[in-house]
Amino acid sequence: MSFTTTLTRSGNTVIITLVGELDATTAVAFRQEVDRAAEGDVETLVLDMKDLTYLSSAGLRGLVFAKQKMSDGVKIVLVKASDEVERTIRMVGFHHSVVFSDHVPG
Amino acid sequence: MQLTLLVSKPSDTADHLRAVLASDGMDVRQLTPEQALTTEWGPPGGVPDLLLVNAGLDLVTVRSLLHRLGRAADRPPTVVTFVDDRYADLEPYVRAGLDYIVPPYVPKQVRDRLVASQLRQLICPDSGDLQSTTALLRYEQELAIGREIQLGFLPDGLPTPAGWNFTARFLPAREVSGDFYDAFEMLDGRRIALVVADVCDKGVGAALFMALIRSLLRHTAVYLETSTRDRAGHPPDADAERRRDEEMLMRAVTSTNDYLIKNHMRQAYFATLFFAILDPETGSLVFVNCGHNPPLIRRHNGDVMLLHPTGPALGLIPQASFRPASTTLEPGDLFFGYTDGVTEARNTAGVLLGEAKMTAIVCTDATSARETLNCVERCINEHAGVAEQADDITMMAVHRDLAVMPVR
Repeated sequence: MSFTTTLTRSGNTVIITLVGELDATTAVAFRQEVDRAAEGDVETLVLDMKDLTYLSSAGLRGLVFAKQKMSDGVKIVLVKASDEVERTIRMVGFHHSVVFSDHVPG
Repeated sequence: MQLTLLVSKPSDTADHLRAVLASDGMDVRQLTPEQALTTEWGPPGGVPDLLLVNAGLDLVTVRSLLHRLGRAADRPPTVVTFVDDRYADLEPYVRAGLDYIVPPYVPKQVRDRLVASQLRQLICPDSGDLQSTTALLRYEQELAIGREIQLGFLPDGLPTPAGWNFTARFLPAREVSGDFYDAFEMLDGRRIALVVADVCDKGVGAALFMALIRSLLRHTAVYLETSTRDRAGHPPDADAERRRDEEMLMRAVTSTNDYLIKNHMRQAYFATLFFAILDPETGSLVFVNCGHNPPLIRRHNGDVMLLHPTGPALGLIPQASFRPASTTLEPGDLFFGYTDGVTEARNTAGVLLGEAKMTAIVCTDATSARETLNCVERCINEHAGVAEQADDITMMAVHRDLAVMPVR
């Protein structure tokens, strides 16, 4: 079970690419990446999830943390989340706080 | 090997082990934990190189002893634990990564094993040095604290209304997480509250949130319960009763959500929760599902009904709106609630058990509440094999007896 992230910044958009499984053990790495993302001015936080294979409820806490960390106006866009990942997010009711998309905006 | 210190409460096994070591020509000193902790250890020559402890000792005592010995010598002693006759005692030691020996204690063999442990710890000092051992012990202690919090907040027993069977099961993972279930009487036993919940994440933090949320829910539900009987004491109609049950549920859920948002939102914890109020007389089940894995109802005729979310998880969204829903448990029906530890149980290849397989087991194999949980537990075990259980597994089943036809 591995998990890696990469962060790229273009203007006020930060893109974090998530690869692997986001769960209780890997959530720390994700939170650190979110901390880094929050260092600059951010208008949109894009989470590229096309290679995110699993999201547990503890992993979802990482997304909630990202929402808390970013100021209120920041839009969080989840790109290409798998059906399973999207279902987990919808079940818990977090879908009101994010936007699902098929492509990286901008 | 210069000096071996054997620490144990008085026991035949310890005496035997000392005799075995002495017969191998080893210099052994045997003390009780109290003696060992009050001895002034000091060089030269007086500090043991090898500490052999009875697994019956608690880790806190061993840690204190290690600390004292480590201060007195250049190098902390090698620690090896031995088991009296209770193998279960070994578990925390094994988890802490310490070496151990088990019976039979035979001359030469024991000595070889101890020498091997000393060599191993010399080669990889991290496995036996005081720092890492202490850190591991602390970690084990933290696990134990979290587990204690969690277990202390599960109900001692489940309600037993006539015509109903309640069963719950909690299979903890090694690392503590925030699962809980609850069942308690309301309105003097005229209603029964059922709760299955999961605080996201793991560790002592999740256990503390579990304790907080369970208390808030129970307190609000029980202390703010309202009776709908009018002043003349006439019982109200069924609609009014249902509305009252819905109000009690909503009050518990919204006030708990408000509290979490107001006081704890920054910590980003949330809890998924299924909360229902059952009328054991009619089978009416009023519920709210806050982002929780849908419990299922197995109807007597074989149909399956899922109780889908009616609102978001608690602690997630300010002023969230929760919607009550209702159904009826008819004679022969079975309610099954669970946490994601069931569906996300993995085998060694990492494959999840999945909802479909769980549903199939609940719906085909079993009849009674207890038997249903036995079947699901067996299914999880068969699926997981030797894979370590990563998450707590919590299940609750409620079965309504088939009505007995009155004899005329």
